[in-house]
Amino acid sequence: MSNGLEILAQTVVSGNLILIQGLGLYALTRYTKNVKEAVEAGISVVTSMLVGSVLLWLCGSIIPSSPVPQLGFYLLAALAAAVLAPRILKQDPSAEKMAVDSALVGLLLLLGRDGVTGVQNVWIALGAGVGYLLVLVVMATIRKRLELAPIPKPLQGLPILLITAGLLAAALMGFRF
Amino acid sequence: MKPLWDGLFRKNPVLVLALGLVPAVAVTTTAMNGLALGLLTVAIWLAATIVSKAAAPYVPATARTAVRLLILIVLVVCVYAVLLRRNPSLVASLGIFLPLIAVNDLLLRAGREEQGMKEALLNTLGQGLGFALALLVLGMIREFLGYGSLFGTQILSGRLAPLSLASTVPGGMIILGLVMAVVNLVSKQGGELHE
Repeated sequence: MSNGLEILAQTVVSGNLILIQGLGLYALTRYTKNVKEAVEAGISVVTSMLVGSVLLWLCGSIIPSSPVPQLGFYLLAALAAAVLAPRILKQDPSAEKMAVDSALVGLLLLLGRDGVTGVQNVWIALGAGVGYLLVLVVMATIRKRLELAPIPKPLQGLPILLITAGLLAAALMGFRF
Repeated sequence: MKPLWDGLFRKNPVLVLALGLVPAVAVTTTAMNGLALGLLTVAIWLAATIVSKAAAPYVPATARTAVRLLILIVLVVCVYAVLLRRNPSLVASLGIFLPLIAVNDLLLRAGREEQGMKEALLNTLGQGLGFALALLVLGMIREFLGYGSLFGTQILSGRLAPLSLASTVPGGMIILGLVMAVVNLVSKQGGELHE
């Protein structure tokens, strides 16, 4: 992953946080009732991702190298990002709950696992955030159509939403090989 | 005993309340993975409940989420350190989803602060075992479909080609959706979210 386009393609399409990595399903099921809500929730998580990645970039030289303290460091960075992001967006502090999303922590842990360093952290987080927001908006629009579709009763609501997301994800997997 | 049974079946966190979906979809590629993560989650959750109950009087309401998260992070790092020494292969197969227990939305959003210690522990145990049960069931289905085996023992010997989609995240979402539909059918509930 060296140039910008490559990073964008990797993070939005072939490594999409929600559809390919399976992170952030809480947002996918709870915040996609309409497009406006999806965008709001998406933006607060994306902000926390950016804050987290900037923290990793700034603290690059003090990240411990042995696995256990390193894990602690990444988790604490995620906690700091989740606390800071609502304050940057001037949301009310209870929005922390929204920002503590598995997508945020998962992204930071993935960055740690892949040994990403320096400013690349921020670019990858930006790409991943775009991918995350895109999926929420797409699912919100699909959900609107699902409401009108004749769906058998046991499948209504969440089951059909998960199956739809799964089919969307399976389609995205086609870009991986 | 009622909270225990509620957590296991009627209010199963994954299949009915739709919480903790990330591990349910991403980690349950094999039955063993599902069971291991489920039980680790129960252990961490019980410990977190005890600590946060003890700390509750000293924590202002606005900082509750952050403090709860901090407690979970400390516990997860401890468990990670122990497991890394005892069973590195399990750590490798759970990958980033072991540390992700710290932000499992089931654990973060289950704060009913006004309960007493005993009731809270019983509730936590019920929900936790329900979570582990759901992960185990999903893991068994996906391992059987994806690899033709159960707990690592080969059952289908090459006659049926395994459905490799079942061992990926998209397959996990579809299978979870179908299992939820079956639960709805059995319990005769609609498919809407019960919050």
